[in-house]
Amino acid sequence: MEEPKKEEIVTYPKYAPGTHVRTSDIREKKITYTWWEPEIQYAWSVGPAMSKFLQGLKEGKILGVHCHKCKRLIVPPRSFCEYCYGPTEDWVELKDTGTINTYSISYLDPNANRIEEPILIGVISIDGAYPEPMGFMHYFGEMSKDEIKIGMRVKAVWKPENEREGAITDIKYFKPLRGGEI
Amino acid sequence: MTFIEKQTDPMAPTHWRGDMQADYLYPNGVAGDKFFKYIKNNDGFLATPCKKCNKVLFPPRLYCEDCFSEIPEEDWIQVPASGTIRLFTIARINAHGKRMKEPKVMALIDIDQTDGALLGVINSKDLEKDHTGLRVRAIFRPMDQREGTLKDIINWEIIS
Repeated sequence: MEEPKKEEIVTYPKYAPGTHVRTSDIREKKITYTWWEPEIQYAWSVGPAMSKFLQGLKEGKILGVHCHKCKRLIVPPRSFCEYCYGPTEDWVELKDTGTINTYSISYLDPNANRIEEPILIGVISIDGAYPEPMGFMHYFGEMSKDEIKIGMRVKAVWKPENEREGAITDIKYFKPLRGGEI
Repeated sequence: MTFIEKQTDPMAPTHWRGDMQADYLYPNGVAGDKFFKYIKNNDGFLATPCKKCNKVLFPPRLYCEDCFSEIPEEDWIQVPASGTIRLFTIARINAHGKRMKEPKVMALIDIDQTDGALLGVINSKDLEKDHTGLRVRAIFRPMDQREGTLKDIINWEIIS
């Protein structure tokens, strides 16, 4: 058999400086480039329990489901209890009021742009769900960043019925429950 | 484990739909920039010969991909926008997955005087024909419509 040829030793520059591209080079079209916006669409199956929850939101209701064994009223609802892995049962409609469990004052919008007026966001313990805290995350409105505090009583502000689409954003935000309001 | 809840309403929102924004900008690089700017103003291509490997690299490169030797600027050559079809396929579905009204003949074209190739659309309606080995020539857009991309080539015309 013929011996394989010894490959020539490859030499290459130790340091290649590269070429800097500035944003202005692209804006002023000094250099050519390829720009593409791929279409990336997804459909994520939310499952039977979350489907029912989203349908409830469309009807202006917050739905929860029980695990009697673990003594829980779960919201957002699940098909099974994540403590005992048993199936959940007995759906109930909960009030659209709750208590601020935790919150954040964000000076960044969802696209990470800096903003002047902060977004108030946090977790609400929904009234009637147990053990506390049990609830979900949402925006807060009709309150200032100085007013917001943990333990504050809040109530959902819903979109008009014809604008609801079965999404968590069917609730616009939670507003403070001020003295005497139910 | 059995689930007590069952989905019976097919119209209930069981899927959450969304789309992801993932647009990107890819500068063509030093050699690519030269290549596309040349297309914008000329009805031909540029290529880079590697004298060590005795190969003409196309599309042009700053370095030979085999021996890593740098290709000096004075070695760049102009080549005609013509070539020979190495292989081809019939495209019936477009980039968005939709069926096209008129299928297109897509081909890999060995560019004349180089060892490289380009993908292109062949100006041919004959879907039964074997296109391999046919000589083709690039049809460019009018000068005032060119943008310095491969889209400046409308399609490739069969010359033999």
